[in-house]
Amino acid sequence: MSTDQRSPSTANAAERGKSGPASRPMGIREAFRAIRKGIVVMWWSFFDWLAAISWKALLLVSFLALVLAGIFNHPVLAVVLIITSFIIKVVAGGKRRAELAASEATMRAETEQLERTVVEARMEALQAQIEPHFLFNTLASIDQLIQTDPPRASKMQQSLIRYLRSAMPQMREGRRPTLGQQIDLCSAFLEIMAVRMEGRLQAVVIVPEGLKSAVFPSMMLQTLVENAIKHGLEPKPEGGLLEISAEIVDGQLAVHVRDTGIGFTPQAESGVGLANIRERLKALYNGRAELIISVPPAGGTCATIKVPYEIAPATPSA
Amino acid sequence: MRPSSTSAAPTAVIADDERLMREQIIDRLKEAWPELQIVGEASNGNEAIAIVQSEEPDIVFLDIRMPGMDGIQAARALAGRVHVVFVTAHDEYAISAFEHGAIDYLLKPPEPQRVALTCERLRARLNQEPDPMNDLLAQLSHRLGAGGLKPREYMRWVQASVGANIRMIPTSDILFFRAEDKYTRVQTERFEALIRKPIKELIDELDPDEFWQIHRSTVVRVDAVEQVSRDFRGRQIVHVKGSEEKLEVSRTFNHLFKQM
Repeated sequence: MSTDQRSPSTANAAERGKSGPASRPMGIREAFRAIRKGIVVMWWSFFDWLAAISWKALLLVSFLALVLAGIFNHPVLAVVLIITSFIIKVVAGGKRRAELAASEATMRAETEQLERTVVEARMEALQAQIEPHFLFNTLASIDQLIQTDPPRASKMQQSLIRYLRSAMPQMREGRRPTLGQQIDLCSAFLEIMAVRMEGRLQAVVIVPEGLKSAVFPSMMLQTLVENAIKHGLEPKPEGGLLEISAEIVDGQLAVHVRDTGIGFTPQAESGVGLANIRERLKALYNGRAELIISVPPAGGTCATIKVPYEIAPATPSA
Repeated sequence: MRPSSTSAAPTAVIADDERLMREQIIDRLKEAWPELQIVGEASNGNEAIAIVQSEEPDIVFLDIRMPGMDGIQAARALAGRVHVVFVTAHDEYAISAFEHGAIDYLLKPPEPQRVALTCERLRARLNQEPDPMNDLLAQLSHRLGAGGLKPREYMRWVQASVGANIRMIPTSDILFFRAEDKYTRVQTERFEALIRKPIKELIDELDPDEFWQIHRSTVVRVDAVEQVSRDFRGRQIVHVKGSEEKLEVSRTFNHLFKQM
């Protein structure tokens, strides 16, 4: 507002400097413009006021206006004014309501988006927490291998480094995670567990090369793999098979983690990990993704995450 | 087989599900206590109990996290028969808090000095009766939430066939159950599935804080209820989030939705 008013006046001053006699009509035009602007502003605030005010208040004001008009002996003018305001009120009310609804909807959408981002960030950090038991057991195994089988110790330590590097949220890159990255992370984890569990763990990854560039949320596959080992295979004295596979089903990317472990009981605690995945999928895909737990005919457990199939934008390969 | 006497060489059994970890403990024990004989190795709690019963060693080293029966359950079974040393990678049960002599623990990877201290304590205790570990086991069980008076376990998953697959549906995804002929329909926001378990049995297995029966043939998840209205006959009707279906509340269950 203030800048609008200032710029014509400075222009005016400059012109006045150039030609003295012309300054008077310019001043009048300027005044007219200001008055017109004032009326427009007043009109719109009157309009807004009409739209916002309740009908009851408007009736009261009309009545007062009538009384005032009676005192000043101009009832016709007052009646015309009142009828006009009523008409404007009807028109403006609708417009105002629509505006309010629109701004509210925008605000709600923005808040929801913000909330979703915050929830997702917190959940991801939670999911990325490394289990102390895993870390200490692995370090203890490496310690033993250093004395008995140094080359294997070195290999295991490299797997651990690879795992830690990708599991720590602050070390992850800002790009959207791909299925390939998530599988690398899981492979590092599985290599470590295979050394520790020896014959009790057989791990297979059957993922077509072409699907590795698909976008896939971070740490979810990892949670499924950890669950399969912790709740499926580790408690089973003879161990078993773990298989990661991926396919496209009806335009969706479906990633499965199957194990031949002890399976699932209906009483099993649903667990923070799975609940976390569900929440994150909801936040990230808003109903277009899901986590399915099923029981394969041969026993064990199969966990599937379905997300919309999307190729990650090409990134310079490191 | 071997009578456990203090005059003969002391014996021990090592229980850990990972072979490398068993080797590690055995190596350290050899350094710290060369006379100690390892008479058996177990890779889970059940094996540990079986070997301790057959070999009757003086000492058992029990890893806490093992498949099948874990170290604490095995210790409970063996309490009073053998000296127990717990082994763990991460002291989440704070066994260190019980370090008042009767029961020992080792953290993986065991440091030689710490193993030496454990061996010294064990030597001193060998001619005593093994501690029954009552306090420790009671407290550990409490921390683990295992054994003893466990709160009732309610159903957290419903196993239902969806198409050709058997699916585990988390109860938190279910909007309501409804009896339909011979089956019970499980309704979620995305799909419905049929199970054979009748409402009458379901209601006993579901957490009463999570699910309410509102009709002879309807059980609804409390958190899914959006509002309760009344129809023209004054009956209460439950509306749930994510489904158009209206669920009638029968008179018997009217009290559930009394006005505050």
